[in-house]
Amino acid sequence: MNLGNFSMDTITLAGSLESKLDAAASAGFTQITLWAKDLVGHPDGYDAALNEVRLSGLRVNAIQVMRDYEGLSGPLHRYKIETVKTMLKLCEAVGAERLLICSSTSPHASGDIEHIAADLRKVAMLATPLGLRVGFEALSWGRHVNDFALSWEIVQLADRANLGVCIDSFHVLANCSLNGTNFDVLSTIPGERIAFVQLSDFMWKAVRTPEERIETARHLRVFPGEGVHSAELSRMIRMIDRSGYRGDWSFEVFNDDYVQMPSAVVAMRARESAMWVAAQSERRSLPRTINRGMHA
Amino acid sequence: MNKSVSTLNPLGIDGIEYVEYATTEPQSFGAALERLGFIAVARHRSREIVLYRAGGMNIIVNADPDVAGNSDEGSGAPRLKAFALRVRDAATAYTHCIDKGAWPITPRVGAMELNIPGVSGVGDTVIYFVDRYQEFSIYDVDFKKLPSANDANPSIQGMHFFGIVQSIDESRTKEWIDFYEELFGFSVLPQGQYFGVLPKGTLLESPCHKFYLQLVEPPEQAAVLAWQEKLSRVGFGAADIPALVKALTARGVTFIESDSVHTSDRGAVTYLGGTSFEFVKSHLGASR
Repeated sequence: MNLGNFSMDTITLAGSLESKLDAAASAGFTQITLWAKDLVGHPDGYDAALNEVRLSGLRVNAIQVMRDYEGLSGPLHRYKIETVKTMLKLCEAVGAERLLICSSTSPHASGDIEHIAADLRKVAMLATPLGLRVGFEALSWGRHVNDFALSWEIVQLADRANLGVCIDSFHVLANCSLNGTNFDVLSTIPGERIAFVQLSDFMWKAVRTPEERIETARHLRVFPGEGVHSAELSRMIRMIDRSGYRGDWSFEVFNDDYVQMPSAVVAMRARESAMWVAAQSERRSLPRTINRGMHA
Repeated sequence: MNKSVSTLNPLGIDGIEYVEYATTEPQSFGAALERLGFIAVARHRSREIVLYRAGGMNIIVNADPDVAGNSDEGSGAPRLKAFALRVRDAATAYTHCIDKGAWPITPRVGAMELNIPGVSGVGDTVIYFVDRYQEFSIYDVDFKKLPSANDANPSIQGMHFFGIVQSIDESRTKEWIDFYEELFGFSVLPQGQYFGVLPKGTLLESPCHKFYLQLVEPPEQAAVLAWQEKLSRVGFGAADIPALVKALTARGVTFIESDSVHTSDRGAVTYLGGTSFEFVKSHLGASR
């Protein structure tokens, strides 16, 4: 495991797309997780955004995020299919490797897992000719799918080679904290069925309410190694590593303080965090010393 | 139709109606097809497209600038652009595939031209659905018969469509198997069961048992090659390969002999008209 296995997520950084890409590359990262809005909201337009990403030389490991996709019917389903097709085309245009879908929070969505699996099978089919993968992530406040174990059950039911679970450590840890559960089921997921791993931590042990969980998720995540769940995260990383997962590890860190700091500072914290994560792995090969300015 | 048959062959697939090549050099490619026993039988009413036929096989040679002019390879070499499946009902087949997550293609239909429904396949290729292949012909609408055309042009040595080879990216076999299984009802043949002289990749059998698809991942040294996902080759079947090779040799076709490919009773390969064709000893009969 080395720095090439890790990426930043643009959600963590302040500033323009170009400055975020620069900051990540300058800290030594070779890949990035983008949000669709990074591209479509670019002040110089979509094509300019695509060009900036191309020029950065960074590999785009995933596009965030398709919301409220699964479990719908009739016109709502058709509307969401058209939306997800647009998102897949966006992935193709920017050279992203996968589209991330988070579990629905919609009150209109069915909780029937057969229905959800069929919808995921459909997006996986749409992704196939484009050469894309799809990651399905259980939001801990998802309406029906709010736990990674259920997202894994549904991914197995859908049974498509380019569909896997996306593991977000925040949701796993927050669920365990709120519900008093553990994440041992994680060890049962084969590495090739994990589509993507997003890592972050937070700063308190007790999550008392679902509202507090959402608030923390959106504003107060920190990089792995900076929070209070390092022991749990370390165990989680080793479990995923032992599963045979050899994909990317992205830091999805929503943090109101980080977006008030210079991007270069935050990117270096991300680099320190990558070293911390690699140190938890039994396949560690990242050097302990930081080689600053390697992409300056 | 009982349920089990419907499940095994949900679209009522009944073989390949045609394959389509795009090329900016239609004359030289047409001449190559003629060496293989095809003859030009009809010309499209509004676009530069010619229909070639041999026995029950139809090959469309599309030189329309909008289609043939955007070759990624930057040459006029023919590219396999599409294949059309004979199905029970084209509209139903199309809806079935769209409901399961296939991408619809944007039809390019001119006035009084037939809209053939299709979905996106690998790369920029299309898989069409044709249901008018028995009493009526799709070609009667869009094509004008050439005066010299001879309807009775049997294929040489019973040559027939045997399969299509599709090159795919590394580790994508399972994804493409899912694609063909889910949409069309193809099934995977056991590893090790191959036909012809290029035994590699994964073979899928059509639900009608009339043709095969071969999925081929890049060879190990492909990092330095310009490998891309596409339909790469048509395979023709014949019961007697030596007799077919002899007949084609007499027509000026030469066959590849290399360290890895040899003409044998099992099959042969030729490079002709800017592309390769494979010939396979076949247990399948010539259709129609």
